[in-house]
Amino acid sequence: MTEDQHAIAPNPPRKALLLHRQLDRVWSDLPGWRGTVCSVNHGTIGLRFMATSFAFFAIGGVLAMLIRAQLATRDGAFLDTQLYNQIFTMHGSIMMFLFAIPMLEGLSMWLLPKILGARDMAFPRLGALGYWCYLFGGIIILSSLLFGVAPDGGWFMYVPLSGKTYSPGINADVWLLGVTFVEISAVAAAVEIIVTILRLRAAGMALTRMPLMGWYMLGTAAMMLVGFPPLILGSILLELERAFDWPFFEVMRGGSPMLWQHLFWLFGHPEVYIIFLPAAGVLSTIIPVFARVPILGYGAIVAAILGLVFLSFGLWVHHMFTVGIPHMALAFFSAASALVAVPTSVQIFAWIGTMWAGRVELRLPMLHVAGFFLTFVMGGLTGVMLAMVPFNWQAHDTHFVVAHLHYVLVGGFVFPILAGITYWMPMISGRFRVRALGETAFWLILVGFHGTFFLMHLTGLLGMPRRIDRYPDNPEWEWLNLISSIGGMVMAMGFALFVLDIAMQWLFGRRSHRNPWRAPTLDWAMALPAPSYNFASLPGPGRDDAGAILPLARGEGLLPGAPRNRREVLVTDAGTGRPSHVAVMPGNTALPIWTAMVLGSFFLLMLAGLYVVTPLAIAAILWAGWQWGGFMGSRADAPAIQAAPGLSLPEHWQVRQTLAYSGTVTLLVADGTLYASLLFGVGFLTVIAPNWPAPVSGLGLGALLTAGAALSVMTVATLAARLAETRRATPSGAGFALAGVLAAGLALVLLGGLAMLLDDPRRHARDALRAVLLGYSVFHGVVALMLGLRSLCDARQGRTGSQRRGAAPVWQLFQTFWLTTSVLSLGVIAVQEIG
Amino acid sequence: MLIGSGLITVLVLALAGLAVWRGPRPSDERRWTIWWGLGFSMSVLAVLLAFALWAGERMIARDDGALQVQAEAQQWGWRFVQPGPSGPVETEGVLYVPAGQPFDIVLTSRDVIHSFWVPQLGGKMDAIPGHRNVHRLMADAPGTHEGLCAEFCGIGHAAMRFEVVVYDPAAPPPFVSAESLP
Amino acid sequence: MIWVAQMLAGPMLWGGLFSAVYGLHGLGCALDWPDRATPLGPLHPGGMILLWLVGLGLHGLLVALNRAGGSETQRLLVRSGNWVGAVASAVTLLPVIVTSSCG
Repeated sequence: MTEDQHAIAPNPPRKALLLHRQLDRVWSDLPGWRGTVCSVNHGTIGLRFMATSFAFFAIGGVLAMLIRAQLATRDGAFLDTQLYNQIFTMHGSIMMFLFAIPMLEGLSMWLLPKILGARDMAFPRLGALGYWCYLFGGIIILSSLLFGVAPDGGWFMYVPLSGKTYSPGINADVWLLGVTFVEISAVAAAVEIIVTILRLRAAGMALTRMPLMGWYMLGTAAMMLVGFPPLILGSILLELERAFDWPFFEVMRGGSPMLWQHLFWLFGHPEVYIIFLPAAGVLSTIIPVFARVPILGYGAIVAAILGLVFLSFGLWVHHMFTVGIPHMALAFFSAASALVAVPTSVQIFAWIGTMWAGRVELRLPMLHVAGFFLTFVMGGLTGVMLAMVPFNWQAHDTHFVVAHLHYVLVGGFVFPILAGITYWMPMISGRFRVRALGETAFWLILVGFHGTFFLMHLTGLLGMPRRIDRYPDNPEWEWLNLISSIGGMVMAMGFALFVLDIAMQWLFGRRSHRNPWRAPTLDWAMALPAPSYNFASLPGPGRDDAGAILPLARGEGLLPGAPRNRREVLVTDAGTGRPSHVAVMPGNTALPIWTAMVLGSFFLLMLAGLYVVTPLAIAAILWAGWQWGGFMGSRADAPAIQAAPGLSLPEHWQVRQTLAYSGTVTLLVADGTLYASLLFGVGFLTVIAPNWPAPVSGLGLGALLTAGAALSVMTVATLAARLAETRRATPSGAGFALAGVLAAGLALVLLGGLAMLLDDPRRHARDALRAVLLGYSVFHGVVALMLGLRSLCDARQGRTGSQRRGAAPVWQLFQTFWLTTSVLSLGVIAVQEIG
Repeated sequence: MLIGSGLITVLVLALAGLAVWRGPRPSDERRWTIWWGLGFSMSVLAVLLAFALWAGERMIARDDGALQVQAEAQQWGWRFVQPGPSGPVETEGVLYVPAGQPFDIVLTSRDVIHSFWVPQLGGKMDAIPGHRNVHRLMADAPGTHEGLCAEFCGIGHAAMRFEVVVYDPAAPPPFVSAESLP
Repeated sequence: MIWVAQMLAGPMLWGGLFSAVYGLHGLGCALDWPDRATPLGPLHPGGMILLWLVGLGLHGLLVALNRAGGSETQRLLVRSGNWVGAVASAVTLLPVIVTSSCG
């Protein structure tokens, strides 16, 4: 199959300026403060994410400087221990959750539509919601520092230290609730990124021809989708233990502190690669541009990404080599940790090979790439060393690990991101940079970084553990720490200069011409700074690189302009990129910020311990959730839209495989992972935790009958949801929807009854886990019921027809998921009862 | 291992430097991705892993009748139990072990997670409430070593130190008799 | 899109096998399987080795039979996926035959 067979005829050329005015009116943010609150445009949201995360990076950096000031001398009296503990915990948490992850989310939201040839991300409102959740969660976490109640248990929050007994204050709750709040944005971003990459690529851009950045972000988002749920589950369980005394981690009542470590690192290690992959994507994008050759080994790099995505989930126990796990289990993870270096090495050599083939121009972004090579290679090798069990036993939890992780994270994330920022700044600001500042900043950062962390390897090997605030008896560590502290100050100056450089570029830089780096990718096929709608007409086969800039601006591509005064994007087939339909995107709205606010009120009430009032917040969340569906659906069949001569496409109301459907499937993958983690928890505690078997269960025939009745009614609801869709064009459609809603409601009532019959969750971990399984089922029941109500409204109000399906397909998905997980939960409890 | 890592770092950086310096040059995809990317890295890792598994296997504590001492950690101190002439002897903050013979240390915790580490003896192991971890160590010569808690455990973490006194088995301290040593 | 599933088959098999062997290991140590003898040697490493070999056999089948058509990159990726999974299973689970199980 050659590309020519899918050739799409060009639209007639038009005046670029007229198209620009028409599109900009539809796609730009509202003027003034309403633009701040209501924007859903991926460009605005992406830049906000990046700017906010850089602000958090600065705060985290200031905390780091405080740590270095404290450690510069052995009797550091600069901070007291309690404050020091809060500061290092916050430094780690901020850098991980409020800088690195949001930065990569922002970069991908801002960049992906541009580099893939789309006008927006798949779910603009979800992106905005993610941003507000991130901002509010970040503010909650940060303000705890001002009130002196910041988390102080280390950024991995090991229990029992972070349990209620040893951390009675709200410090740990701030971490658990704040981070979980922020994680909502991570999962939302993951769903959005995956659907965008799979469904919004330029027409005819097959997966195998997509820019490598697309593959990297696809890998990253897939890992976020599977990596974050274990942490979210762990945080929920720990918060339940702290708030309601349900024992999941307490040894006396059948819990185990090891469960937290498994759940945390099940997230925590993939996290490192979640951070590294987008950065590697930046490298794979930038290096070929400055070497002036195509990337070497496209297929090998995609295969390497595939290997990294999977292998990184087989490493988590290497953070737990000293917890007393049998040697064979350690060896599995040790081998996997060594093996994961192989795909990384494939990529590094592919980059070197690319530079080898070309003539490299050492412009500023390339300097940062060089910084990456210098730093990351060493970090990777110390990582391989740490993967070896005997060495790990010596170096674990020392400053050697601190040095290693900074080499990996700064080398593998910060330098590539700095390269990326300097590379894309002309597109963001529309200006060239001011000379010399950026180079000076780079050298200060590089020298400062190695000054801080190179000798720290030695500090660790000499026996200095992590997280101590003074070392009066170890004068031999002092000169090393002093050098590190001085290096840290130099690095901080470098970052300050970097920010100054960016500000100067924004304010005083000379206007940039188009495509200043002469890059080949689509992101440069637009005017600078990038317009709100990206492309006046969308790229298609043969017109999907930077060279297509003029034909696209003249409207020769697909879907030119905004003739229907709506935000329209082209949805394509996931694999081949064949055009499928036209999706109409929501415009500016304050709904995301409202939703984030009601979610935030829930978290704040939980934090304040006002559990009695939380039902109000939950009702508000349901109300906000209901509003989201209001935009969807159409009362009439619209005529097909002519995207190009001879290419007529339906609107998205008239197809089944919509973006929303793909998004729901993606979300359910994350949800399923959360459920699988919960089952892992059940299995783990049953097998490993001391103080099992649990006391005799009080569940009897009554509970069994109630559960059986609930499952039967759920099955009825699932069938009704299906019939509501297949019979949508007949009058009986609304009847089936009503039946489904009633059945789902009845199932929820029965589940409520079952809750009354459960043993007290405070008695034993087994009973607490059963309560969580039931709560999980109830939660999904509520979501399914809401979707059922939405489908019922669609049917009643004429938003369904022979072509239009309303919310029914998504309702079915949730209904089936609810039923499946509930059946599994009942099975687990039945096995426990019999065994 | 440190030297090997250093050499690999220099090698990779030299290749990267060469790649930047001159060019363009013919560049074969297979050579970079298959030979260097796969072949080179996998052979280095295979050797390293084999060595680590072998060394790890030798470090495991086994039931071979080695001397056993107990350590119980709590916020923020250590209590040790070591064999004496008339039953176990309990000490606070100081552990007495004989030189030249392997011993197993049994680790438990009364409250939060701590970690037992004597940098000069090598290796560390966590003390976890509800779990009993065994770690094998050996001190070659008599002397005194400093030990510390390596897992963050709260306010007193930095000061949670202890001492290991390694004595000559021929001249044990008064409360240990030569017979009680295995 | 079928080729994407084909590309994922090898790594997915590794994921399943890795979880299964790791789970079996934990279960075995908790239930004192190393002390239980079967005609083929002790139950604990025995069961894991058997599972591992079956898994490697499945990987072999994938490498031999799982081919895709389409563009060259597509074929290369499916082949790479097969090998990524096979090598990962072979290396990460190698310890079942070289280390002691519950010590």
